[in-house]
Amino acid sequence: MTETSGVRRVAIAGVGIAKRFGHVQALSNATVSVRAGEVVALFGDNGAGKSTFLKILLGIYRPDAGQVVIAGKAAALHSIRDAQVLGVDCVHQDLALAPDLSVVDAMFIGHELISRGLKGRLGHLARSRMTEQADQALRELSIKLPSLKIQIRDLSGGQRQAVAVARAVMWSDTAVLMDEPTAALGALQSEIVCDLTQTVAARGLGVLVVSHDLPRVLKVADRVIILWRGVTALDEPAAGLTVPDVVTVMVGAQKQAS
Amino acid sequence: MTTATQSTAAQPSGDPDVRAIAEHSPVLRWLGASGTWVLLLDITLILFFGLVSAHHVFWSSQNFQALALEASAGLLLALGMSMLLGAGLFDLSVGANLVLSSVAGAEVMQHIAGPDGTSNVMLAIVAGLLVCLAVGLVYGFVNGFIIEILHVNSLITTLGTLGIGSGIALLITNGADISGLPTQIQSGFAFRGIADVPLPALLALAVAGVLWYVLRYTRYGLRTLAIGSSLPSAERAGLRVRQHRISLAMLCGLLAGLAGFVSLADFSSTTVNGHTNDALGAITAVVIGGTLLEGGRVRILGTVWGAVLAIVLTGGLVILGAQSFYQLILVGAVLIFAVALDRFNFKRRESR
Repeated sequence: MTETSGVRRVAIAGVGIAKRFGHVQALSNATVSVRAGEVVALFGDNGAGKSTFLKILLGIYRPDAGQVVIAGKAAALHSIRDAQVLGVDCVHQDLALAPDLSVVDAMFIGHELISRGLKGRLGHLARSRMTEQADQALRELSIKLPSLKIQIRDLSGGQRQAVAVARAVMWSDTAVLMDEPTAALGALQSEIVCDLTQTVAARGLGVLVVSHDLPRVLKVADRVIILWRGVTALDEPAAGLTVPDVVTVMVGAQKQAS
Repeated sequence: MTTATQSTAAQPSGDPDVRAIAEHSPVLRWLGASGTWVLLLDITLILFFGLVSAHHVFWSSQNFQALALEASAGLLLALGMSMLLGAGLFDLSVGANLVLSSVAGAEVMQHIAGPDGTSNVMLAIVAGLLVCLAVGLVYGFVNGFIIEILHVNSLITTLGTLGIGSGIALLITNGADISGLPTQIQSGFAFRGIADVPLPALLALAVAGVLWYVLRYTRYGLRTLAIGSSLPSAERAGLRVRQHRISLAMLCGLLAGLAGFVSLADFSSTTVNGHTNDALGAITAVVIGGTLLEGGRVRILGTVWGAVLAIVLTGGLVILGAQSFYQLILVGAVLIFAVALDRFNFKRRESR
């Protein structure tokens, strides 16, 4: 890909993506690229194709045309597991963590640590090692919890989302995608999660945030990409953009060349 | 751990995000679990029936042995059901699976041991056991395959295979039970025990112990609960949900096959018409014990107490000379009470 000759390598990108569902052309020629260490905000009105794009980057859908690039290399994704193997994980707006699991177990589900030796053959969990690593991962992001043994159910919405972010960071070494991470949160909790995006990017990961929370996300993003009817309508540094600028492009009043 | 805990103390107020409920104390959690109340109810009933029965015959070791043996097959079914419910699936076909497995096992035993059940006894029993397990396993796989690959709801799937399985069993036997099995299946297994506990009951308790360990300490158990707790999050975490749930259906089927063998050993004959309510009994025992119908929480110990409750009531009422039909009414009432208590605890917790 041509993007490799930049300041930093491409963490994750979808180039010229098209996807059709029956009679609906969800994406026709959309390009979104996130470099390592960068927070990119992906905006768009309802139906602009943001969710579809995210699902393609995660391997949940396969694109009709175009190319997914992960860590600078073309990637053919067949399932969410393929994306995970390449170091990409996602934070969802809700239902992200199983409410009945403890914080530790929820952070490790799908990546459980297993004891060594005979116990390990039985699939015995190495819970003390898991707890240590989870504690460290949470502290690195300055997330405070009363205990790692309590169930996800007993956490506040902001804490749950913070744990989900920590979980995603723990299992990605390339990029973290966030799908409306603040949609279910209060004002202060949203600030905390938005600040986390920068902490995560500072660790060298690419961060792609899909959101309707324009003012907050605009503040933490390095670059803004706007989808309009399945096409990339804008791709500019966040510094020069205001909320009204973004809204104008989002609703298609001022469509730019794609 | 300690660092995570002390951070709450360091920030008494101000940070609104450090306000989650602290971990409950073990004693409170024990008292809050419906399984605890069922255990206490079991003990109370055993005391009561013992006191009021003539010569305290309810407390005799013969009575306990008989009850333990009677409880074994039902407990095995309930344990399989616990695992399935843990992942959010039902199995209404466990009774039919038990019958079909035992019929197949009995056919094979009779074929090898002859009509009077005296030749090649050891081989016949082992072959019969293996056939019971194999049929149970395949039955479970068929259930799992229909649920996960054909995407049919588990209630509907197992309602269907309940009819199919019992129909096949009745066709094989022409509706009449197969008897004349080797007597050693009773004398060597069902009626034998260690310290007055019948072997089938020990077997069922051992299975309970293994499943308890699996749920609490292993990856398989954790994934089972994760799937039951939130299917979308399990899928997003990259778990192979379909394979996992098929394996659970097979486990439940395997245990139903084992229960089929236990039932053969208990009666030295098949019991093709005696298991129509087994699935409901198993679900009742599991739910009374505190396992969530919606999945995500399994209480193996509670399942054991729930299975004991049904048997203690049946046995106690028989010894009192009361109609055993009262057992149905009492167990039904306890079921509703247990779930209502659970809902109450749950709501109180959510609203805090």
